[in-house]
Amino acid sequence: MKRLCDICGKNEAILTVRHLDKEGKATEIGICAQCAKERGFSGVEDLQKGAAELLAELKARIEDKDKKVVCPKCGMSFAEFKRVGRLGCASCYLTFGKEIEPLIRRLHGSVQHVGKSPQEGVKRAQERLKIQRLRKELEVAIKEEDYERAAALRDLLREAGDEPKN
Amino acid sequence: MNPRTERVGSWLSATGPESDVVISTRVRFARNLADVPFPIRMKPEDQELVLDTVRWALKETGFLNRGRFYEEVMLDEPDGHYFVERHLASPDFISSKGKKGLYVSDDETLSLMVNEEDHLRFQGLASGLDFSLAFALAGEMDEKLGSQVDYAFSPQFGFLTSCPTNVGTGMRASVFLHLPGLVLTREIEKVLRGAYSVGLLVRGIYGEGSETRGNLFQISNQKTLGQSEAEIIEVITNICRQIIDYEHKAREYLMHNLRVEVEDKVFRSLGILRGARIISSAEATNLLATVRLGVSLGIINELKLSEVTSLLVLIRPANLEAILGEKLEPAERDERRATFIRQKLVR
Repeated sequence: MKRLCDICGKNEAILTVRHLDKEGKATEIGICAQCAKERGFSGVEDLQKGAAELLAELKARIEDKDKKVVCPKCGMSFAEFKRVGRLGCASCYLTFGKEIEPLIRRLHGSVQHVGKSPQEGVKRAQERLKIQRLRKELEVAIKEEDYERAAALRDLLREAGDEPKN
Repeated sequence: MNPRTERVGSWLSATGPESDVVISTRVRFARNLADVPFPIRMKPEDQELVLDTVRWALKETGFLNRGRFYEEVMLDEPDGHYFVERHLASPDFISSKGKKGLYVSDDETLSLMVNEEDHLRFQGLASGLDFSLAFALAGEMDEKLGSQVDYAFSPQFGFLTSCPTNVGTGMRASVFLHLPGLVLTREIEKVLRGAYSVGLLVRGIYGEGSETRGNLFQISNQKTLGQSEAEIIEVITNICRQIIDYEHKAREYLMHNLRVEVEDKVFRSLGILRGARIISSAEATNLLATVRLGVSLGIINELKLSEVTSLLVLIRPANLEAILGEKLEPAERDERRATFIRQKLVR
């Protein structure tokens, strides 16, 4: 399986940096071309020169409790959210739920929504679909001269709140 | 160039409740489609998908019969400023690149931005202090569009928005206030601090970071989560009523104790507007606002509150150019603005 970049979580990692700590424990970080370039690592020399910085970044990530928290849907990392102040997609709210709760509480004094919900809209959409389906069935029944079935369908339509047509 | 006229939205008619103090009321909803990345992470094909979905939903729900959906052309700078000046679009929306759409109802009381900070941002606008109308307008769009599309929603966090400052109801309720009495009596600071202390935001009339001109202020709710839409509206309405009351008292005080000074200020403002040959939009806004005070206090009888209120929008650069039907250099525009205002205020 391809390894994804540990910084952006989106692109394929093209290089890995390995870090041995004092105890000899190794940690590896994968970096994609774009993230490497964004951080100014272009040539081999730069890479060597930048290895220290990368390792510092890596260390910070290991120390950071938010490590590895990357939205699986859009690839937004919590660090990036903190930088830009915008979330990448609806799933981010799920991914970063624990992390953003304190922020949301600070902003709104609450972490529980009260008020409108889209359920009504969805319900109406479903009702509309039901009516459309019944209407189609009714058309077929009339075409096939199955009047008993047509009458039953008309009742169902009326029940579903459909305006009867003359 | 926008093929537009001098007709302004009915929310500028100054016919709503408390129109002497409150110019307009706005209720805005932020909504996103489920399963499409938020604008900050959108690819061109995502933008296209959202635009297509909204265009279809607007048609399906009948909104297209009551308004117009603008795409691409006319939405970028500088043409798009026409909509910003009319409070139908945000400055960020107009300056942003990428595929976007703007729906505006024929009477300009309802508008919808597609692919702004959130996929959908729509608002209802009403004249005066009228949350029931503004909420009904935006709420109708919310429910009708919501019956066609799947909104991003979580039972805990409510409607999910790009920025956590809008999450929950996704609703921003705001009021545009004209508070010359409180400015002249230097009580304004106290009032604005009071609004701030109960969690309301106070800004200039063109939103975040815009300066307050002509003693015009925008007050809106800061919190969008943990309170229902009705509760949010109740809080802001109560504060507004207090501010209106305070403004009335300040105006009474001025008329009682400093009548000549106020009349002098009002008539001088009218005099400059009627005599100027060159005028900037900032100066015109300030003077028109003072004249507006004069009209609402009955100092000036020959002008209507609606005329003066709508001029606040019509004299702004993009609207003036749209009315005159040509692009102008700033210097030339200031000259044409002066002529336009003179013609409007002649009696």
